[in-house]
Amino acid sequence: MKPSPLRGTAVTARVGLALGVAIAVCFLTGLISHFIQHPQPWFFWPTRPVWLYRLTQGLHVISGIAAIPLLVVKLWSVWPKLFERPILGGLVRQLERLSILVLVASMFFQLSTGLLNTAQWYYFQFFFTTAHYAMAWVAFGALVVHIGVKLPVIRRALGEPLDDAAAGGSVGPSRRSVLVGTGLAVALATVVTAGQTVPWLRKLSVLAPRSGEGPQGVPVNRSAIAAGVIRRAKSPDYRLTVTHGSTTRLFTIADLAAMPQVTHQLPIACVEGWSANAEWTGVVLADLLAAVGASPDSDVRMISLEPPGPYSRTVLPARHARDSQTLIALKLNGQILDLDHGYPCRLIAPSRPGVLQTKWLARIEVVPA
Amino acid sequence: MTAAHDEDDGGDATPFQQPGDGLMVVRIVLLVAGLAAGLYGAWLLWEFPVVIIVRIAVWAGVGLALHDFVFAPLCAALGFTGRKLIRGRWWTPVTVAGLCTVVLGLLAIPVFAKPGLRPDNLTVLNRDYPLGLWVSIAVVWACVPIYYVIVRRLPVRQYEAVEREGADDVQGQPPPV
Repeated sequence: MKPSPLRGTAVTARVGLALGVAIAVCFLTGLISHFIQHPQPWFFWPTRPVWLYRLTQGLHVISGIAAIPLLVVKLWSVWPKLFERPILGGLVRQLERLSILVLVASMFFQLSTGLLNTAQWYYFQFFFTTAHYAMAWVAFGALVVHIGVKLPVIRRALGEPLDDAAAGGSVGPSRRSVLVGTGLAVALATVVTAGQTVPWLRKLSVLAPRSGEGPQGVPVNRSAIAAGVIRRAKSPDYRLTVTHGSTTRLFTIADLAAMPQVTHQLPIACVEGWSANAEWTGVVLADLLAAVGASPDSDVRMISLEPPGPYSRTVLPARHARDSQTLIALKLNGQILDLDHGYPCRLIAPSRPGVLQTKWLARIEVVPA
Repeated sequence: MTAAHDEDDGGDATPFQQPGDGLMVVRIVLLVAGLAAGLYGAWLLWEFPVVIIVRIAVWAGVGLALHDFVFAPLCAALGFTGRKLIRGRWWTPVTVAGLCTVVLGLLAIPVFAKPGLRPDNLTVLNRDYPLGLWVSIAVVWACVPIYYVIVRRLPVRQYEAVEREGADDVQGQPPPV
């Protein structure tokens, strides 16, 4: 079988460049999401624009999905090299081949686990977030090493014309048509999935894990049944506790509803790549914190009715806690909050991952400085 | 795609030093930074229990083996056979449609049979994915004859004819003076 004349560095370098850009966007937006969820003293994440996290995490999943056709074509363009002799060669060649082995295996790992996570299919038996994060460094590191090794080849290939003459044959695909076809496949992959975060694509995104529908017009990631909160959330004895040192205030739902109500349009943006804009109505968190005399420079811990688990309690940084658009929401799109959206009340803050917008709030604690 | 996907020709590794190449510093910085990032990732992985490390390695390795020794040979065989059966201007749109079909198939894997569906949350996996997949594949393949008709109606452009000539096409040379 003669290898296709379309294969070669002219195609490999150009598809590789697009793949490199997609991976860089995916890696950087993934790091942003990681550091919002695991804050470091040096990390700064703004509250404006309110859709910033929606944008970065939407890009994370879109660029990851776009990388799938790019990786397929990139590997097609170099596949015959797999069988080139000598298989092992000298030490430098072995190291180079090892770095490519690590690169391709880690890329498969990242794209496959990421795609499965968007559909909540945890077929693999390891914890997704920590494994995906660790392997992201391996994949990105191997990519940077690969670029370092191949830089002269890449530079030469990008500087040369696509060289259609090498494609041979009077009529048939040219290298240009390989690139155009790859672009079409990337566009198609984006269109059939991105509607879960880009509303105008919703009807076309036939393979998106979420249609965008849900109670009160917003999808749900974790239901009240899964969280095991129904009895406590519906209890007439429900009180929201707000504490600051020795000062504690208890609020019934009626107390909260009697406070000044504010309505804001804020997106809810999930780490899994879906997002939706919605109208949230409730009490400004800063007003509740003022009721217990908290400083605007204090971080705030949000504790759910949910039994202890990875996301049953989260810390809201002071910058978000004092923001005038951060609400303890009682209503969603004009209706009393659905149980699956966090009834009796939930946190909704601008530019934060959905997983940190704590639902079924039981307790708000001002964290001592 | 095991360790052979380098683009240099011949059996040696990519030459690290090239005469007159001013990119050496950039390359060294990339190699050091890449190694540091990769080792940090490896250290993060090392913190997992051994059984989890094995599962992660198996997942990555199986993906690699499936591509290199199942998916890629199948595509090559399909391409080789298809090229014999489909001639002329049909081949380009057919290969692009084939690539699009593969991509749609890959994206459908986690949603087609809804393996992650939980009865308590019907806002996830709430589309008719088989219908979506078949319709999108049908749309892709419907574009093939449309492309063919459009290309047939276009005049063959001169540069296309010239670009398809190989280096050994030497007709029409100017006469020696």
